[in-house]
Amino acid sequence: MALATAHQEAAHAPAYNHLAINRAGLWLFFFSETILFGLLLSARFYLEGIHREELNQFLGLLITIVLLLSSVTAYTAETAIEHDNKKVGSWYLFFTILLGLIFAGGVAFEWSIAHFHRSESFGSVFFTMTGVHATHVVTGVFMLILVWAQALRGRYGSKNAWPVSAVVMYWHFVDVVWVFYYPALYLTK
Amino acid sequence: MRKPMQTGLIVAAILAVLTITEYLFATHVDDDLIRFLGISVSAVGKAALIVYYFMHIYRLWRPQEAH
Amino acid sequence: MYAVKSVAGAMGLGLIGFYLGLGIVAILRWLFGYPDPWGGEINIIGGWVLGVFLWLMGIGMWGQWGREWFGLKTYQRNLPGWQRYFTFNTDHKVIGIQYLVTFMVVFFLAGALAMLMRAELAQSGNQFLSNGQYNGTMGLHGILMVAVAVAAVIGGIGNYAVPLMIGARDMAFPRLNALTFWLVPPVAVGLLATPFLGGIEHGWTAYPPLAIRTNSAQVLFSLSIITFGLTSILGALNFIATIIYMRAPGLSWGRLPIFVWSMFATSWVALLYTQGFAAALFLVLLDRLGFSFFDPATGGDPLLYQHVFWFYSHPAVYIMVLPGFGLALELIAHFSRKPLFAYKYAVAAFLGILGLSGVVWAHHMFTSGMPNYLHGPFLVATELISVPTGLIFLSALGTIWLGRLWLKPPMLFALAVIFNFACGGVTGIFLADVPTDIHLQDTYFVVAHFHYTIVGGEIFALFAAIYYYFPKMTGRMYSERLAKLHFWWMFIGFNATFFLMHLPGIKGMNRRIADFQSELDPLNFTISLAAFFLGASFLVFIWNMVYSWVRGPVAEANPWRVRTLEWQTTSPPPHENFPSIPVVRGGPYDYGVPGSIHATFPSAPSAGFAGAPAGGGQ
Ligand code: HEM
Ligand SMILES: [Cu+2]
Repeated sequence: MALATAHQEAAHAPAYNHLAINRAGLWLFFFSETILFGLLLSARFYLEGIHREELNQFLGLLITIVLLLSSVTAYTAETAIEHDNKKVGSWYLFFTILLGLIFAGGVAFEWSIAHFHRSESFGSVFFTMTGVHATHVVTGVFMLILVWAQALRGRYGSKNAWPVSAVVMYWHFVDVVWVFYYPALYLTK
Repeated sequence: MRKPMQTGLIVAAILAVLTITEYLFATHVDDDLIRFLGISVSAVGKAALIVYYFMHIYRLWRPQEAH
Repeated sequence: MYAVKSVAGAMGLGLIGFYLGLGIVAILRWLFGYPDPWGGEINIIGGWVLGVFLWLMGIGMWGQWGREWFGLKTYQRNLPGWQRYFTFNTDHKVIGIQYLVTFMVVFFLAGALAMLMRAELAQSGNQFLSNGQYNGTMGLHGILMVAVAVAAVIGGIGNYAVPLMIGARDMAFPRLNALTFWLVPPVAVGLLATPFLGGIEHGWTAYPPLAIRTNSAQVLFSLSIITFGLTSILGALNFIATIIYMRAPGLSWGRLPIFVWSMFATSWVALLYTQGFAAALFLVLLDRLGFSFFDPATGGDPLLYQHVFWFYSHPAVYIMVLPGFGLALELIAHFSRKPLFAYKYAVAAFLGILGLSGVVWAHHMFTSGMPNYLHGPFLVATELISVPTGLIFLSALGTIWLGRLWLKPPMLFALAVIFNFACGGVTGIFLADVPTDIHLQDTYFVVAHFHYTIVGGEIFALFAAIYYYFPKMTGRMYSERLAKLHFWWMFIGFNATFFLMHLPGIKGMNRRIADFQSELDPLNFTISLAAFFLGASFLVFIWNMVYSWVRGPVAEANPWRVRTLEWQTTSPPPHENFPSIPVVRGGPYDYGVPGSIHATFPSAPSAGFAGAPAGGGQ
């Protein structure tokens, strides 16, 4: 015991890596959300197998490309801000918002022309999956607008990029969900 | 900053190619199994690219910021 | 009084939000040309979402968090005394006590409902309650108790003890932590409002088609549970991040107190599976609004609900019981004054249960009409879980073996956990075997089984923890005599009630029904008597707690002479827990190992035990 008391470290607070903690928290949130989206995906195959109603294929491909493109612009924005290129960062955040809105509009249009109804089981899974996903997109757009407003005022830079990174990561996550939902809804037989 | 931007463009190109592949599999392949495999592999590939290059999942175990 | 103003204001805002939400949905419906802007349930959903949001903002989230989203400065208000408990406080100790007190109140409320049910069941026929009222009482009792089981130990004891045990100043995300607590009051209000809309008719499981066709209380039920699910998920996320990143220097994974390990495993279960309950109820809500997930007439399938629901609700039983196991092992080691036996195997068991919990859910569906080929795999997987569970048992028994048992109230409750859970586990095997389960499904045998596991395994552990941490939380000591009286009273009452409940179950008495065959009258009358006896035992507890909190003698910092970190600071601990962050040098349970210490505190000015080695082996 005496031995242990002899070796005293100086009083210090452990330097928590706040960035690492925040990042881990965000990923845990993604894991959890993955299960939610996965359950809806499983429900789709459980109820309908690979059966699918007719959908507008051109529109589907278009909004998929729009959403993937928005991930690229979001990546560009984040990279720019991490390199203190604030102007490019804000512009690309703006492009991302625009693309996100186009995507949401595309989904809304798809809903309005769908020839099936929510009271059929394919309609149920289609509207639920696209609806839950689109809700995430719209939430993402709101958050992008919030960071964009701050980015325009030059609040973010290489020292302080986390809010942008977090929103952009969320945006990519929503994109990854669509990567699976698109084939599951549009590309089955 | 040029290097990560280039990475972004390359990833974007691969994503585009995989999306088209996926679409062609769905429209032109009749064999159920091959179609399923083609689409799934493309989708998983796309997801992996986004998760690794865009979401930087490796920063979870290499926490220092890569610039 | 700032606290009163803030709570009242937040309630006002929440109410305004609720009505605003109703109205916004109505206006939207009108804009989109629906014939009836007042759609009823969909308006309630809109009202709920906006109401909960504004309630949170009002209670303090706006000032401490929301402003940040718009680039404004946030501010914090640290109120003195009891007012802390009524504001958006980010201190994990405050939040732990908030959870604990709230859920104890809910526990007693739901217990009173159980007394009402037993009064009705004392005799065949209907005496006090109509069939509908009985259903409502039973459903409310069930869901409130599930909420208690999911949140009281994790939210209360977990929040209070985990950061202290790992030598941290707070949780990883303190504001998120406060958020999870303040989501609870709307949940409670929502559930308690269900009787006014006709009561919950479908029990806590909410199976369709009944859940789709029943009264609008279902909507409140679903919304509350989805919100509650959010609480659970965010809380779990916080625990995982805290345990990974906030451990004190030297506190390696191999030195982590076993309760922290159990919280770690539990949190993963909660994080990954809670979605199932929320998703299932979300789909029920959609079906009520005209979708068709569960209606076979239009291509749906009611079994889909059961799959999604049990995908959560089986793992949920581990959310309930794993922290109970963790607490039992923790206390048994401290009060046997011995190192925890087979620590590594116990940890492996927690992780093993975490791994297996996701692949056994369909053992609740053996009689549901799911495909027969699923019976075998789910039977085997279910029984496989007894392997890790057995390891935990062996660890407990090995620790008791030749220990110097110190039979203080916490230890008594911890030992009871082991005894009770053994009974619950054994009955589980009859339920997991398809041939026996086909007869026992939906009878009182199941009711007895899950009360043995949940009350016997978890609620006893909760009381153990309350008696263990009471001096730490309040700085005062309770009456040990009354605590022991409570223990024996509750233990005997519990075993009498629920042991007897197996018998009508074997004879085929269905659960969830107000009436039964009159030959079961004597048995049911006895059970009711035992249940009232059990119910009365809590009066002792309440008296003891309330009186001691106000008048009890002042407690020492470490009344149990325990080595873990939470006992190496004052009772109650100061705002940031420790005068300086401890440095961990050995395992937490090395009682009697010469020269061992758990941790030292690097010298900090003004602290009573500055620089002293803490938690020596005695
Ligand atoms: C030893 C391991 C266990 C086994 C083998 C087991 C097995 C089962 C089975 C097969 C059922 C379905 C009975 C039926 O509806 O026919 C069941 C029901 C139940 N079990 Fe367990 N169980 C075990 C442990 C637990 C634990 C640890 C808990 C909670 C802490 C628990 C809580 C429940 C609940 C709440 C139900 C009833 C759900 C309902 O229908 O409302 N069980 N158990
Ligand atoms: Cu189960």
